[in-house]
Amino acid sequence: MATPLHAVPRRVGGRRPRRDDTGLALLFILPALVGLVVFYFWPLARGIWLSFTSWDVLTPLEFVGLDNYVRMFQDPVFWNAVRVTVYYVVLNIGIQTVVALLIAVLMQHLTRSTFVRSVILAPYLVANVVAALVFLWILDFQLGIGNQVLEWIGLDRIGFFTTETWAIPTIALVNVWRHMGYTALLLFAGLQAIPRNLYEAARVDGASEPRQFFAITLPLLRPILGLVLIISVIGSFQIFDTVSVTTSGGPVNASRVLQVYIYENAFAKFDFGYAAALSVAMLAILMVVTFFQYRVTRAGQTDLN
Amino acid sequence: MTQLQSATGPGAEAIARRGATRDARRRRRPRPSAGRVIAWVVLVVILLITIFPFYWMLRTALSSNSALYSNATSLLPVDFTWGGFARVFGLQSTEEAIAAGGSGADMNFWRYLANSVIVATGITVCQVFFSAMAAYAFSRLRWRGRNVVFGIFLLSLMVPLIFTLLPNFLLIRELGLIDTLLGIMLPGLFMAPFAIFFLRQFFLNVPLEVEEAALVDGASKVRVFFSLIIPMSSAPIATVSILTYITAWNDYFWPLMVSYTDRSRVLTVALGAFQAQSPQGGPDWSGLMAATLIAALPMIVLFACFARRIVNSIGFSGIK
Amino acid sequence: MESTRGSSAGRRSRRGRRLASAAIAAGLVGVTGCGSATAADSRTTLDYWLWEAQQLPAYEKCVDAFEAEHPDIDVRITQYGWDDYWQKLTAALVAGAGPDVFTNHLTKYPGYVTRDVLLPLDSLEATSDFDGSEFQEGLADLWRGLDGRQYGMPKDFDTIAIFYDERMLADAGMTPEDLEGLTWNPEDGGTFEDVIAHLSVDANGVRGDEEGFDPNNVVTYGLGSNGSGGDGHGQTQWSWLAGATGWTYTDAKVWAEEYNYDDPRVQAAVDWLFGLVEKGFMPPYEQIGSSPDPAQQLGSGTAALSPNGSWTIGSYTELDGVELGVASVPIGPVGHPVSMYNGLGDSISAQTENPEAAAQFVSFLGSDTCQVIVGEQGVVFPARPAGTAAAIEAFRAKGVDVAPFINLVEHQYTVLFPVTTHPADVLSILEPAMDAIYIGSRDASSLTQVNQEINSLFE
Repeated sequence: MATPLHAVPRRVGGRRPRRDDTGLALLFILPALVGLVVFYFWPLARGIWLSFTSWDVLTPLEFVGLDNYVRMFQDPVFWNAVRVTVYYVVLNIGIQTVVALLIAVLMQHLTRSTFVRSVILAPYLVANVVAALVFLWILDFQLGIGNQVLEWIGLDRIGFFTTETWAIPTIALVNVWRHMGYTALLLFAGLQAIPRNLYEAARVDGASEPRQFFAITLPLLRPILGLVLIISVIGSFQIFDTVSVTTSGGPVNASRVLQVYIYENAFAKFDFGYAAALSVAMLAILMVVTFFQYRVTRAGQTDLN
Repeated sequence: MTQLQSATGPGAEAIARRGATRDARRRRRPRPSAGRVIAWVVLVVILLITIFPFYWMLRTALSSNSALYSNATSLLPVDFTWGGFARVFGLQSTEEAIAAGGSGADMNFWRYLANSVIVATGITVCQVFFSAMAAYAFSRLRWRGRNVVFGIFLLSLMVPLIFTLLPNFLLIRELGLIDTLLGIMLPGLFMAPFAIFFLRQFFLNVPLEVEEAALVDGASKVRVFFSLIIPMSSAPIATVSILTYITAWNDYFWPLMVSYTDRSRVLTVALGAFQAQSPQGGPDWSGLMAATLIAALPMIVLFACFARRIVNSIGFSGIK
Repeated sequence: MESTRGSSAGRRSRRGRRLASAAIAAGLVGVTGCGSATAADSRTTLDYWLWEAQQLPAYEKCVDAFEAEHPDIDVRITQYGWDDYWQKLTAALVAGAGPDVFTNHLTKYPGYVTRDVLLPLDSLEATSDFDGSEFQEGLADLWRGLDGRQYGMPKDFDTIAIFYDERMLADAGMTPEDLEGLTWNPEDGGTFEDVIAHLSVDANGVRGDEEGFDPNNVVTYGLGSNGSGGDGHGQTQWSWLAGATGWTYTDAKVWAEEYNYDDPRVQAAVDWLFGLVEKGFMPPYEQIGSSPDPAQQLGSGTAALSPNGSWTIGSYTELDGVELGVASVPIGPVGHPVSMYNGLGDSISAQTENPEAAAQFVSFLGSDTCQVIVGEQGVVFPARPAGTAAAIEAFRAKGVDVAPFINLVEHQYTVLFPVTTHPADVLSILEPAMDAIYIGSRDASSLTQVNQEINSLFE
């Protein structure tokens, strides 16, 4: 159901005079405008301003120019946070997209039942912290059923949240569990938009299943896939909740993602200025990543025409 | 091999029927192909992985902590007890709680539940309403600068919400609204850029003739908005409302920054606090899982009521 | 946090909209109602924070006694575990929504003093008659700020000793006497390491000092683990080892500006301790994780000796099937055992809306009445001598001989926590470094570099 972005209302004949709704319009957009300015643009400006200051909120503000940025570039924990966050995003989105695509394709072939789709979506309904705590329990080193199963199979117990190598992958997998259903349904909807006749034609031509997938499904799904990826990546970069209730950034900074580091600086180390500078860095990284993603996936264009 | 491509849509159904009859004429193949069986198995496994943690939450919440230490793998609750829930609702005395492996700290989940309801409802109602008003102004009203202002709103979509959290915290603090429910709700009360964008798309699709007819009849544009556009767009409005409600309910980071005591604590933050109060001997798993279940339950109930609507609403239609 | 996208489905009735308006109205009432102060009457409510779950019942009793004396004051106790306590406290103070009175710790309180977040006791009526000599030796001085004013009311003190299970000793052919007079040195571990080795048992029943001991397959570790200690200057983990070499964290007792982590003595002690992991005498980092439970280790037989602080006695007495014993930490190269001597204090927040009521509460917390009540619960050693005596009695009634904890204090065989500015920053540098040493990816010589980083904070 594609609609042009700006629908121009047709004028009936030439009889009606031009109505100017300016007054009414201003009234109607007033609340939204207030919200926009006060809670989006003003914080944006203020956040950038704060990044040039040193402030612990309890004593007066001090302007320090670029000091925070200089410190940031020399801060190994910052670079570690960037690295850890990128690692997390790659793992999370990579696995999530593949699994979601798999589920979407399976559903497309097997069933459209609301029940199945509801079950698939269920993890998305609960909060991040809920999912995190349940898996904290399931993957507990001593008592979690996850490790019991590993033992039955004959493998060693793994400290999922307590080992440096496993901390981020575990958190990534927890979030895959939570988001795969939602992503799958998004992709599923996208799959519906691909005309059937293309598949029919391919079948008649003798194309095999995998070939149809790679030659028809993927290319035509690309715009949707691109958009899904962009949204998922932006969301994934902002990971905080799960880390906050499971590892708090440990062990040894292994899961100290950017957002956790920002929160720690602001609320545990009395350093709002530095936290603001870190936020600006995060913003910059996100914008760059999004820009490249948009270009690479050519999410703005569709091959359907 | 043809059976793997389960066709959907009217034309394809006809093709499938023809294919089926053709097959029937040749020779009946009663068994589904191996590929299909594997596909189903994979799907069922995925469904199980999706559901299992929920079940495990329930099973643990109904077990007692000491039994969990000795028997961690039984699929059923061990030493069935409501103790976990009792601790979560503050129904056990400190001594009882500590004896059962809990922390004896004062937890009052009724309060947190109420807080979550107030916050989520407040945000949803106001945000959707104001966004609808703005969307109407951008789609149905004619005024100078409409496109420019809309463009500015679009810009705000670019700002990841996370960047505004710290400065918004400072603002809320300066307004003296720290540790209040209003403080939690305030940034989200006025609008969400996505809601405006989205509702505007639908308002644009409302047939012009119906609106013109009402205007000719002497109705004001305001009346058109309330009596015509809103009812006709009830579907997308309901969808946006439900999704906003869920997002507001599950929010953790922002409420964490704003609330510090019981009076403004919502369920998600309460869960974090519950976990932070782990007693010396190890986490109160039974109580923690009970708390988690209570935090998750309202959304699951909401979902059960509106499953079809929610599930059908996920997609990208109209946005290109 | 992902944004949502959707398309059409469903209905929203007019009735739904009216319900929604009613909900907003109810919500706004609820919001403003909840937002305003809870007291429409004259009662004052104080918020009191502490981190030790074990002490909660004791302080609840104390609060009951206080409220009986002051019917117009309500005290609400909140408890957060140690790992989260400080971040939550700082966040609450930053937000201006912190507690009125809170339990304070020597390694954290300088950060609050320098930001004027604590009220000096002499500025308030109820605590203006504070007399440090009424408490155990040296405790009150620890809470004196750079300006000489008192910022904390001494609450309790603690030292370190070693818990053990007598039955495990018997299995190894040992008696409690064998744990007395052990010596230790960082080079070969002394008789202390001999005992630890003998108490370590691998999966085949081979002991650590016997042939064929498999360090990778250990069932019982001679020494239990409480983590790397990086989050608390190794109070229970290695302060009694490093201290026993004569080393101190800083040269000045309080408000120093230089740490001594580059000293070879502490590095040798730390290397010795974490070297036990490779030998199979102490659990490795992965097994312990970020929330180690040393009492549980003793109770489940994973560890034979468990060094820990006196505030955890309750966790050990709770263990089923354990014949609990307490031994002193070993004698070090200085010729006697050394334990960290720590004193907790209660502080008043400068953001409190009820400073006088808060002072009355703090004064009560530091009084004989309250400290005897707490002592009788047998969970900590209160700072007042009367309270300490009550505690010793209570512990004896539980069957625990706390002499190993108390004797060191009497002889002042102690090392103090470092009390300096920038406490949170120091620990945030120390913690990952210590974790890395425990894990084995670095050795203790990396502490020299760490020390440099720490000292640069004071420039």
